[in-house]
Amino acid sequence: MSNKSIDLKLYWNKINYAFPILNDTIFSDCTGSEYDEVQQIITGMGIQVKIRDLILIHIEKYLRQHVAPSFWSKFVKVDEEVKGFQLFKSAVNDLYESVSNFSEMLRRLSILNSSCCDNKPIFGEKDVILGFKQLIRATLLSQLPLDYHVIINHFYKISFNVFDNEYESSDMGEDVMCSGCWNEYSDCNCAYIVKVFHDTNRKLMDLQLLERLTGQVLTNFIQLRIETHIQKLCDGTFDVSHISFLENWLDTTVMSWLTRIYCGGSSKPPPDDKNTQNAILQFKKKLSYYLYHSYTKLRIEQLFNIIIEYPESQPAVDDIKMCLDKTDLRLTLCKRLQSALETRLLHPGVNTTDILTAYVSTIRALRHLDPSGVILETVTKPVRSYLRNREDTVRSVVSSLTEEGASSELAEELAKFAAEADGENEKEDAWDEWNPDPVDADPKVNSNDRKANDIISMLVNVYGSKELFVNEYRTLLADRLLAQSVINTEKEIRYLELLKLKFGESQLHFCEVMLKDISDSKRINALIQQEKNFEAASKNFSSNAMILSAQFWPPFKDENLELPEEIKQHFEAYTKSYEALKGNRTLSWKPHLGYVNIKIENGSKNLDLIVSPFNATLIMHFQNKPEWTLDELHQVMKVPITVLRRKITYWQSTGLISEKCTDTYVLVDGSDENKSNTTTNQVQEMICEDDETESVMASAHDQREGELQVFWSYIVGMLTNLDSLPLDRIHQMLKMFASQAPGTECSLQELRQFLDTKVRTHQLVLQGGMYKLPKT
Amino acid sequence: MKVTIKSWTGVATWRWVANDDNCGICRMPFDSCCPDCKLPGDDCPLVWGACSHCFHIHCIVKWLHSQPQQQCPMCRQDWKFNNK
Ligand SMILES: [Zn+2]
Ligand SMILES: [Zn+2]
Ligand SMILES: [Zn+2]
Repeated sequence: MSNKSIDLKLYWNKINYAFPILNDTIFSDCTGSEYDEVQQIITGMGIQVKIRDLILIHIEKYLRQHVAPSFWSKFVKVDEEVKGFQLFKSAVNDLYESVSNFSEMLRRLSILNSSCCDNKPIFGEKDVILGFKQLIRATLLSQLPLDYHVIINHFYKISFNVFDNEYESSDMGEDVMCSGCWNEYSDCNCAYIVKVFHDTNRKLMDLQLLERLTGQVLTNFIQLRIETHIQKLCDGTFDVSHISFLENWLDTTVMSWLTRIYCGGSSKPPPDDKNTQNAILQFKKKLSYYLYHSYTKLRIEQLFNIIIEYPESQPAVDDIKMCLDKTDLRLTLCKRLQSALETRLLHPGVNTTDILTAYVSTIRALRHLDPSGVILETVTKPVRSYLRNREDTVRSVVSSLTEEGASSELAEELAKFAAEADGENEKEDAWDEWNPDPVDADPKVNSNDRKANDIISMLVNVYGSKELFVNEYRTLLADRLLAQSVINTEKEIRYLELLKLKFGESQLHFCEVMLKDISDSKRINALIQQEKNFEAASKNFSSNAMILSAQFWPPFKDENLELPEEIKQHFEAYTKSYEALKGNRTLSWKPHLGYVNIKIENGSKNLDLIVSPFNATLIMHFQNKPEWTLDELHQVMKVPITVLRRKITYWQSTGLISEKCTDTYVLVDGSDENKSNTTTNQVQEMICEDDETESVMASAHDQREGELQVFWSYIVGMLTNLDSLPLDRIHQMLKMFASQAPGTECSLQELRQFLDTKVRTHQLVLQGGMYKLPKT
Repeated sequence: MKVTIKSWTGVATWRWVANDDNCGICRMPFDSCCPDCKLPGDDCPLVWGACSHCFHIHCIVKWLHSQPQQQCPMCRQDWKFNNK
C-alpha cells in the first residue's frame, strides 16, 4: 500500500516535470528520452485522457492569469507616438516569446494527445499547436481593454509616415529633418522603424492575430489618411482631375504598405497563399470605395463653387460624374447642392442677374454631369420658383439676351439655337444610344423634353409662359427705342429674326411694327423738316419726333407734363405738317417722353446735356425766374408735387439749383468762381445717370395689377358688410362672386400682393391676419 | 443762366381722324390693321364712303366683292368712295 503510494507520488512528480504547467510554470529541462518514460507511465496507467484534460485546464488558466494580462498591461493611453510605438513592439515581442516558451511542452502534449485515441478536438482544432493558438486569440480577445487601439494607432502611424515619405519626398534635400521619422537626418531612425515594423507584423501574422488586432485600427487609420490626403490635394482647385492621381496614390503608397504588413515585409503575397491575397484584395476594395466616397463627398460640398467656375471646372465635374457611378451619393448631391443654391443665391441680397448667371452655369454644368437632366430638374426647382417671384426676372433675362460684350453668354446661346434649328430633324436615328431614365426621375416628365430644353427655353419657362416673356421683351425694346439706345435698328431687326425662330412669328409681330415706326419716323422727320410752314417755326432749334403706332406698343405709364409754350407751339406746327403730309391722320403727343439736348451757360460754367423733357422744362422755367416754390412749379408744369420734389434732385446734383428753404428752390449763381471748376467735373460724371433710367412703360406687374383692380370693388363691398376677413376667405368669396369678371384667375399669392399694396397706400388695414377697411 | 435748346426729340402716337374707333367690318381698331395686313397706317389705310362711314380699305373692298349690291355695311346706302 505505502509502496504503491510512493510509486504514485514518483509518477506524479515525473508527470509534473514533463508538464510544469500543472504547477503553473512553463520551464522544464525534460528531454525527449525522459519524456518517453513519462509517456509510458501514463499509458501504463491508462490515464492519458485525464492528464491531457488537466493540462489543458492549466494552460487555459495560465494564459488567462498571466499571458493575457501582461500583454494588455502595455496597452495604455499614451500621447507620445514614439512611446506607443515602443509599447506595442514590446507587447508583441513578449507575447511572441511567452508563446514560444510553450513550444517544448506543446510538442510533448501532442504526443500525449495522439495516445488518447478519442479524437477530441483541442480548443476546436484537431492539432494541439493550432488549438493552442486559437486559445491564445480567444483568451486575449476576451480581455480586450477599451483603449487598446491607441498604441496600435501610434505604431502604424509612425511606420506609415516612413512609407509615405519614401514615395513622396523628392525635393526634401534642404531639410535637416527626415520627414519620415521627424528626426534629424544624421539621426534618422527610418531603417529601425522599418525593421521593427516588419518584425512585429510577422510575429502577429504568425500568431494569426494581425487581422483581429489591427484590422479595425488600420482601416480607421487609413481612412483618416485618405481623407486628409484628399483634402490637401483638392483644396479649391477645380481645373484638374484628381481621380487618377488618387487611385495611383492608393495603389503605390497605401496598398503597398498594407501588402507589406500582411506579407511580413515582402512587397507581394506568396503566390500560393490564397488567404493573404484575398485579405489584401478585400482591403483594397473597401479602401477604393472609401476613396471615391470621400472624394465625391468633398466635391459635392464644393459643387456650388465648381458650378460657378464652369466650364473651367469641367475636370472636377468629370471626376464627380465618374464617381457617382461608383458610389451611392446621387441623392446626397441633389440635397446638398439644392441647399447650397438656396443659401448662396436665393435671398434678397443677390442681384437677379447674378442669380440668372449662376442658374445658367448650373444648367450647363449639370447637363454635363447628368445628361438625363434629372439632377438638374430636381436641384433647380427652388431656383425656378424663386425667380418666378422676382419682379425683374424677365427683364433681366431679356436684357442679358440682347446685351453685348462679356456677359452675353445668353446672346451666344440664342445664336447657337438659331444655327441648330436647321439641322434639327436628323437626330431621330439615335435609337441605339437610348438609356433608361434614372430611378429618381419624375415619371410625369417626358425624358425627351427634359433633354431637349435649351438654356433659353429653360429661362423663359421660369416665368411660366412665352407670352409673358415676349411681352416683357416688347416693353424693354420700347424703352430702348425711346431712349435711343438702339441706334442700329438693322441689328435689332436681325436679332428679332432670331427671337422669331424661338418664339414664333406672331408673338413678335408687334416688335416688328415698333422697329418700323422708328425707321419710318426718321423718314417723316426728314420730309417735315423740308416743309416751308414748319421751317418757319423751327428756326430756333431742330426738333424730331418718334411717331408710334399706339396699338402695337406696350401701354405707357400715364404722366402729365405741361411743356413750355414755345415747345408746345413747335409741336403744334409739327402736327400740322404731319396732317398735311398724311391726310386724315393726326398726332397725340406724349410730352413727358423723348429727350432733349440742351446747352446751359451759367457764369463761367458751360454744360452740354441730354436730359428728359421734364428736366429741360424745369430748367427753362428757372431761366425765366430764378426762384420757385414747388407749388408754383406744380401750377405751370402740372406735375404732382411729390414727383417734382423727387426729380428736382437731378438739377440739385448738378449744382445749378439749390433748396433755399423747404420746398423753395433757387438758381445757383454760376459766377461764383471758387465752386465752378470742381462742380463741372462732377457734373460730367453725373450726366450718364440722368434720372430717367426707369422704364416709361407700365411693367407686367403694373399691368396685372390693373387687371386685379376689377376685384377691388368686390373686396370693398365684402369688407363693408363683414367688417374684417382673412386672406383665404377673401380669395374664396372672390372665386364665388367675381368669377364673371375678366382676368379672374387670381392666385392666393397674387391676391396677397395686391392687398398688400392696398395696405401700403392706406386703403386697407391689416390687423392680426385680418384685412379691414380703414375707419374714416 | 442761359438755356439753349439744341434739339428736342418728342414722342407722339398717330391716329386716324375718324368718327369711330373700330372698323365696322373687322372690328379691329382703325389704328391697327385689318386681319389680312401686318402693318398699320400707310400699308392698311382707311377709306370713307359718301355716307361718311369709314373702313379699312381692304375690308370694304373685300365686303363689296362678296355682296351682289354695292352697299355700305353700316347704313345700307349705296357705297361710293369719297375722296376727301
Ligand atoms: Zn377692317
Ligand atoms: Zn389691310
Ligand atoms: Zn354708311
